[in-house]
Amino acid sequence: MNALLVEDLNVHYGTIHAVQGVSFSVNEGEIVSIVGSNGAGKSTIMWTLAGVVPPSGGRVLIKGNPLPSKPHEIVARGLALVPERRRLFSALTVRENLIMGAYRRRDEESVKAEMERCFQLFPILRERLGQRSGTLSGGEQQMLAISRAIMSDPKILLLDEPTLGLAPLIVEAVMNTIIRIRDEGVTVLMVEQNATQALEISDRGYILEAGLFVKTGPGPELAMDPEIRRAYLGG
Amino acid sequence: MFLQTLITGLSIGGIYALMAVGYSLVFSVLNFSNFAHGAVIMLGAYVGLALATKLNFGFGLVLAGSVAGAGIIAVLNEKLAYSSLRRRKAPSLYLMISAMGCAVFLENLVYATIGSRFYAFPEFFGRQVVTIFGSSVSLLDVGAFIFALIAILGLHLFINRTRTGTAIRAGVCDMTMCSLMGVDLNRLIAIVFLLAGAFAGVAGVFLGIKYLVYPTMGWVTNKAYIAAVIGGLGSLPGALAGGLILGVVETFVSTYISSVLRDVFSFTLLIAFLVWRPNGLMGIDSEEKV
Repeated sequence: MNALLVEDLNVHYGTIHAVQGVSFSVNEGEIVSIVGSNGAGKSTIMWTLAGVVPPSGGRVLIKGNPLPSKPHEIVARGLALVPERRRLFSALTVRENLIMGAYRRRDEESVKAEMERCFQLFPILRERLGQRSGTLSGGEQQMLAISRAIMSDPKILLLDEPTLGLAPLIVEAVMNTIIRIRDEGVTVLMVEQNATQALEISDRGYILEAGLFVKTGPGPELAMDPEIRRAYLGG
Repeated sequence: MFLQTLITGLSIGGIYALMAVGYSLVFSVLNFSNFAHGAVIMLGAYVGLALATKLNFGFGLVLAGSVAGAGIIAVLNEKLAYSSLRRRKAPSLYLMISAMGCAVFLENLVYATIGSRFYAFPEFFGRQVVTIFGSSVSLLDVGAFIFALIAILGLHLFINRTRTGTAIRAGVCDMTMCSLMGVDLNRLIAIVFLLAGAFAGVAGVFLGIKYLVYPTMGWVTNKAYIAAVIGGLGSLPGALAGGLILGVVETFVSTYISSVLRDVFSFTLLIAFLVWRPNGLMGIDSEEKV
């Protein structure tokens, strides 16, 4: 079953047609990557799915139901976004950021259990609980951003450039965590600019160019495609 | 004399702090100067006055009624004048202009309906005095100071210890991300205005009792802006500190130098802080690791 179905999605910023009728689907339990160069419209798709940027046309269904228009209603339907450059609440502590992730959840025990789950994924966060998130390292901030999204117990996780600016070792750790999150039953849609590793762990991939999909296929196959490697993956 | 002046200064400073807290709270969340805050204080005072004179309510009920009335007025003000601008992501300058319009509109509404007369609250505290270290000080002054401290401490605990308070602080950092946590921003902003209005109601009653109630009494919020800048915009402890410092400085200048120079000192203090310490005494530290 489709966890997420996007049909003929259009997004305009004034006169700029940023996303030009893209259609794609993400099945339950899949990792799907959208790959493309800077300015291709990847992040716009993510912000539209999260309800922050309104679409100018098209249809988005979450598990067969129309996407609500307001971000907080979308979160309630089980969709969480980890935005590009993390955008943590920098003046809040790590614990408070995690609590904000679970804002809609009322059951204290399950929130505590979820926090433990985050510490299993990223043990360093337990040591940083009382630290202001703005003072964490880039890698730790990304771990916190992913954990904050997980705290809402999402069914679909949107990851916008999750490895941007991270050291290679941290990139590998983040990618392994994404696989682990998927294995725990969360559907993942990810956009990446530097995409070799993203496609390698993805069940399927879409190549986006100037607001349009130009190629799609299984992630590892796209990662090995010489034409795509030359055009988008740096050889 | 010194102690009496100090207590009077702290009392006025407490009222400034109550006003500055509301102003600062809205500024920190929506990043604009809500110039209609003074009009909400004025309307809160009129609500209290009506309860005291028409319904003969006691001080406690007058205060509660004024808090509720000003809180509701502040929320309505947001819904009618700011929310549509917010939805359209208008620059904060537009919100500020709208706030100025609201202030003028509400003042003139009072002129047109109630009139320009000055009204006095009934003497809730009479001329009762308390003796502190051998000096006689007015019960109203002591009460206003203590009440301001308790109210601001309560708000501080609410902001720092509750889920909604954490959401307000998160919203101060990043409103969009706050909504992506599942926070209904319209509801959160309504709560912020309700809190700011409630504090405006308390300030309105104390101002009305200490001085008089009249349509332009809200202009005293100029002092709240100064207090908020001194303390650091967006900081609640800062608003308290700024209010108290300003109140004490003004009272000492009036008593020992000249009451004519009081506002000269206040605005000089404002300029000095803007030039040398624009973040104020306790401005929010937004420094981030690169």
